[in-house]
Amino acid sequence: MDKKYKVQVKDLHKSYGSNEVLRGINLNVKPNEVVCMIGPSGSGKSTFLRCINKLEEPNSGHVYVDGYDIADPKVNINKVRQNIGMVFQHFNLFPNMNVLQNITLAPVELGKMSKEEAEKAAMHYLELVGLEDKADANPTKLSGGQQQRVAIARALAMKPDVMLFDEPTSALDPEMVGDVLEVMKRLAKEGMTMIVVTHEMGFAKQVADRVVFFHDGDIREQGTPDQIFNHPQHPDTRNFLDKVLNV
Amino acid sequence: MQSNHWKIFLATLTAVLGIVIGWQVIEPQTASADEQTYTFATNNTFEPFEIQDSKGGYSGKNPGIEIEILKKIAKHEHFKYRLKAMSFNGDLQALESGQVDAVIAGMSVTDERKAKYDFSTPYYTDGVVMAVAKDSNIKSMKQLKGKTVSAKSGTSAALYLKKNQKKYGYKIRYFDSSNTMWNDVKTGNTAATFDDGPVLQYGIKTGVPLKIVTKKPIDAQPVAVGYQKGKNLELQKKVNDGIKWLKDTGQLDQIINKYTKGNGTTKTTAADHTILGLLKTNREALLRGLWMTIELTVIGIIFAMIFGVILGVLGVVNNKFANGVSSTLIYIFRGIPMIVLAFFIYMGVPNVIGHKVPLFLAGILTLTFDEGGYIGAIVKGGFESVSQGQWEAARSLGLPYSKALIKVIAPQGFKLMVPSLVNQFIITLKDTSILSAIGVMELTQTGTVIISQNMEGFRMWTIIAVIYIIIITLLTWLSNYVQKRMA
Repeated sequence: MDKKYKVQVKDLHKSYGSNEVLRGINLNVKPNEVVCMIGPSGSGKSTFLRCINKLEEPNSGHVYVDGYDIADPKVNINKVRQNIGMVFQHFNLFPNMNVLQNITLAPVELGKMSKEEAEKAAMHYLELVGLEDKADANPTKLSGGQQQRVAIARALAMKPDVMLFDEPTSALDPEMVGDVLEVMKRLAKEGMTMIVVTHEMGFAKQVADRVVFFHDGDIREQGTPDQIFNHPQHPDTRNFLDKVLNV
Repeated sequence: MQSNHWKIFLATLTAVLGIVIGWQVIEPQTASADEQTYTFATNNTFEPFEIQDSKGGYSGKNPGIEIEILKKIAKHEHFKYRLKAMSFNGDLQALESGQVDAVIAGMSVTDERKAKYDFSTPYYTDGVVMAVAKDSNIKSMKQLKGKTVSAKSGTSAALYLKKNQKKYGYKIRYFDSSNTMWNDVKTGNTAATFDDGPVLQYGIKTGVPLKIVTKKPIDAQPVAVGYQKGKNLELQKKVNDGIKWLKDTGQLDQIINKYTKGNGTTKTTAADHTILGLLKTNREALLRGLWMTIELTVIGIIFAMIFGVILGVLGVVNNKFANGVSSTLIYIFRGIPMIVLAFFIYMGVPNVIGHKVPLFLAGILTLTFDEGGYIGAIVKGGFESVSQGQWEAARSLGLPYSKALIKVIAPQGFKLMVPSLVNQFIITLKDTSILSAIGVMELTQTGTVIISQNMEGFRMWTIIAVIYIIIITLLTWLSNYVQKRMA
């Protein structure tokens, strides 16, 4: 494990039965780097993301986050997860709590902050995502875009040093997408290390430091947005970009 | 807020537990230390041997031949006794499992029984007689070919019928209480019934519309107190001494004559048998039965909830062994009919553990396991229907499994479960009636006992049914209110 990387993945394999979805992935993410993962659906990019915080258990290989190998059973995964924020396609806010409680639950329950501190922090993050007036709202009463921004605030409240985004805008109505991407851009600008699975090519082009193209359980090609979008080397990459960019 | 609720819940729980356990421990010790207390199983519908008063006890002037005998013997021989009124079959099973020390229930001494039980000196000779409906033409057993006849299961009448079935070619139907059995003859379902002579005589004298067609009792047999073989020898000696004393002093004949000759025990027929009158006469017994039903329901639900939630949680935790335990227990307890479970706990378990299971405790355990099995399935299903995304969101924040379950999954799961749980509570209330089979004096058993005295089946069961409907309606209102508050 190399100290200069925030996340380091070595030869990661994952299969469901006989179906091999990840065929030995290697990926290093530096602090403050924004990595966007693109590729056709079923190419393994979401599974890969979920392996980073062990929502999926890898079959073999290593995933180092902050120096901890999450594949090692001796490592307390709950501790490691506290430093990895995750945002889901379907938001997954807790409907049995209001917005504020959604955000303060983990910091308070895990003893990171007192209730007062957590509420103050929660208000700060709600402001950051532009929803400070929704603190008392029931999450089910919010629009999809608002829910996703609350979910981002909830993840940020644990003060993670890596954020994972799993197709954060795929379930949103088109007019909501911009607000969420705006928040993500701001996070990137503030120096958050981010790994983003996305279909928003515009976002990837504009914000990513590096774009990683997944195909058939493997990384086919990676590079700067300019390299990937303007000078793709691999025929699979060209084929994919042709399909998504020329609609 | 949240933790306050839990505190109140825990405090209530502790209090209820304390009361139940305390009561169970104290109950058997109410007898004074210097006089031994024995438990006698008896039959609640067995006039003139046992005649319950309107409160379900035997404290009236005419409690029945055997109760009077027992009372005199106990006083003379210096021991105390407690009575357990059940069906005759229940009596025998209770004796075999050691739930009771002796059976005094018009038990005739047969060779088969002698091999199995010890008996006291007989105090009466009893024979089986055949009775038919008042307007029936049947006069002898030869007319019974192809017809259905009845006897109480386990009685010598039943043995006699079985023995002669080939000879006369009848079908036999077995009953648990004389009252239901006689009623069946009255309505014409069975052609004839075979029962103990004095029992039928007494019944007919108090208004049962049957007639006895046997001239001489069939299969006359002595009646005595039964014990487990080789057990309670001290009690056996005391009872025999007492019977001898009653015989010698002429008191035994006096007691028997009081019930089988003359009008001494005939009930006042002026009793009010309208529904209102029945309610008035049996108010206390009904209230006591209702209270027992409510007590069983409330305590049963509390323990079934605890057991069910444990089963449900074991079913969803991240542990294959716990999952297996949960689904096995749910499978077993949902698969066993509740009445079998009740018999198993009350009459089966004592054989293994070597001492009695108190009746109330047996009832609560039955409800806990049976209803708990169903609640376990509901709880498990409720947790499982919370979307996987909720688990992932909670766990990805770093919350450990238990915290994710308690804070995120359980509250959502319980909300989904509420309608099914309410339904289960109502079923629990109705299921308490099944406990009448082991003799718990709840509402249904109270009804059985009252009807055995006044023969008012239609009106009494109407009353009982209406009482159930009323409390179930109240429970439904209460739960609707709670659900509205929760939403």
